[in-house]
Amino acid sequence: MKKIAVLLLILLLTGLTGGCWSRRELTEVAIVLGTGVDWMEDGRIRLTVQIARPGAFTAGSEAGARGREPASWVVSAEGRTIQEAERYLAMKVPREIYWGHCIILVLGEEMARKGTGMITNFFQRDRQPRENIWVMVTRGEAKDFLETYSSLEKTSAQAAGFLERMKTGYSVQLWKLAEMLASKGIQPAVTAVEVKEAGITPEPDREKKSPPQKQVGLAGVAVFKEDKLIGWLDPYETRGLLWLKGEAMKGVIIVPSPGEPDKAVSIRIRRGSTKILPEYDGEYLRFMVRIRVEGDMVEQQSREDLAKPEKIKTLESEMADELKKRATAALEKAQNEYGVDIFGFGDAFHRKYKKEWRDLKDRWDEEFSRAEVNIAVEAQIREIGLLTKRAGVPEE
Amino acid sequence: MLEQGKIDSRQAILLIISLVLPTAILTVPAITVKHAAQDAWISIIVATMAGLLIARLVTDLSLRFPGKTLFEYAEEILGRVPGKVVGFLYIWWFLHANALIMDEYASFLCSAHMPDTPVIVFFILGIAVAACAVRNGLEVLSRFNQLFLPLFLGLLLVVFILATKDMKVTRLLPVFDKGAIAILKGAATPASWLGEIVIFTMIIPFLNKPKEAYRVAALATLFTSFYLLVSILVAIMIFGPNVTGHWIFPTYNAVRVVSIANFLERMESIAVAVWMFGGFAKVGVFYYAAVLGSAQWLGLKDYRPLVAPVGVILVALAALCENIVELLDFLATAWPPYALSVFEVGMPLVLLIVALARGKGGEGT
Repeated sequence: MKKIAVLLLILLLTGLTGGCWSRRELTEVAIVLGTGVDWMEDGRIRLTVQIARPGAFTAGSEAGARGREPASWVVSAEGRTIQEAERYLAMKVPREIYWGHCIILVLGEEMARKGTGMITNFFQRDRQPRENIWVMVTRGEAKDFLETYSSLEKTSAQAAGFLERMKTGYSVQLWKLAEMLASKGIQPAVTAVEVKEAGITPEPDREKKSPPQKQVGLAGVAVFKEDKLIGWLDPYETRGLLWLKGEAMKGVIIVPSPGEPDKAVSIRIRRGSTKILPEYDGEYLRFMVRIRVEGDMVEQQSREDLAKPEKIKTLESEMADELKKRATAALEKAQNEYGVDIFGFGDAFHRKYKKEWRDLKDRWDEEFSRAEVNIAVEAQIREIGLLTKRAGVPEE
Repeated sequence: MLEQGKIDSRQAILLIISLVLPTAILTVPAITVKHAAQDAWISIIVATMAGLLIARLVTDLSLRFPGKTLFEYAEEILGRVPGKVVGFLYIWWFLHANALIMDEYASFLCSAHMPDTPVIVFFILGIAVAACAVRNGLEVLSRFNQLFLPLFLGLLLVVFILATKDMKVTRLLPVFDKGAIAILKGAATPASWLGEIVIFTMIIPFLNKPKEAYRVAALATLFTSFYLLVSILVAIMIFGPNVTGHWIFPTYNAVRVVSIANFLERMESIAVAVWMFGGFAKVGVFYYAAVLGSAQWLGLKDYRPLVAPVGVILVALAALCENIVELLDFLATAWPPYALSVFEVGMPLVLLIVALARGKGGEGT
């Protein structure tokens, strides 16, 4: 009897006291949604965090009559390391800073030029931040980027995270960046972002029109040599980079209409694949890049009837040309202007020529800049939508 | 006979898997990948061969002395005093290995989950629970293991399958990049883990069908290797060889990366939960071997009085580890030669050769 009583008491105690050690209630933590790091003139770094205000995330306040409550709070502090800056932040943030839900890591332009490795280290080493944080480089300062507002999402960090997740542009998660930083056969390329003017929210009173809002947006790609930023690719070249890397086969290709070259036809890409085939004879380095792409015609400005096999053939070859042009634009910039292999040609070379790689790996970027790259594109158009030709055009 | 219980072949297989696997998938991948890069999977295959040979050696030895454990037949083979010395060394090794296992788990929990909890709490709690199981004997330990290990293995496999989305087979190329020596170096650590099957010598006497011992040992080794192989492949195919070698617990990071449709994510809690079960089972088996061995070495009639003192020694030994760097360095450099050459191959081989030379024991079945 006594034994049972003791057992019951222990059972009760485990139920009541379990998990109380270092517990954290939602109201005791400051959840970081976005982190920004800027390089300061005096050699210190400025850590900016966008912290969620959980009250604004409840369903009630969204529809409530009080209007939209700001969903985030942005604070900064400086320090020599991320941790030191975080401790200074803690002097202003009345809760425990929690990194587990951090969605984005934004590096200011100057910071990226000084080196990303010393920043990403903390985010890989600490147990709270996750490997799949989206990493990006902003033109200007990370602080300005995080201090923006989002009309559609709750906070700008989430907006930036969703932009990345949509894979509209080139996007990179921390663990992919770590792989690019660690490999000699590829140099890192990171999403470039900027603060853009993005639409307005109409008010009931049309006279009281709100000024255009500054919101986050994608701006191409930041090119790195080792862990230092050395340049940018614009959105057009970014598409080329994506094709050469064989990632995110999305987007639209605009080609001239075969019969009326001043009018355009849009082809939406459905899927594609890229193969990089290195060839090396000990001296001469050559790469064959084979891109396959499939798309649907979705828009036609011209009046001609494109629903004919031979017209589709012409469109396909124009599509291939256009794609090749994009890829070449990215390639030329990487080879001639920056002299870095951001496509992973080195990794492809390593896979095929492991012995030769040992000699070349330490001067790979020079070898890559000199290499000849042949891009061959095979394009196919599958569907043409629901129309055969432009509607509302009289038969000729 | 100190142990009254009997276990069947299936329980024995599961017990041996628990004996090796839980810490193997935690710390071995990073060490192996550091040596052999993307060829780590070949290292595992090499280690499996070695593991099978050790399993064969150990089973051969044990089956010559039916119903007897390592501690009993060591004396029979070598004579009383040398046998006692060998026995003492084995007791030491079981304790040392067990302390390292607890250090691995405590470090993992501390660095990845519960930084505020002092390591000693993990040691004491882990040992206290394991002590209960050990006190109740081999059968209880086996049944516990039989209950939870399939869960452990199943959930782990599910998580690995979910991770396939982020894997790229090309990360395994080129094959044989670093050469045969690197692959062999990479194989040493997993081989020393698979060699822990030496503890099977403490279990064989309690098999209800000792004739199946070979099959049990081989199946268990193959199964363990399979999981080890899969976890290494998963880590390499997700992170590539460079980053895999940078992480301390690459399999854990690989599980963290899994994100299906943005809602099926953060599955590391499942992985950690199953790892805890596994870790407890592993500690339990080593603990049991140490306690039973000590009792036989001292010639006691019952091993139960030894459970508590051995537990205290274990906690104290585990607490000797100063930091995780020391632990990882020991596991990567000192452990393979120390465990593999002395306790897993050296001594069993010497025992077998002497037994054959002196004609001790019956013919191996």
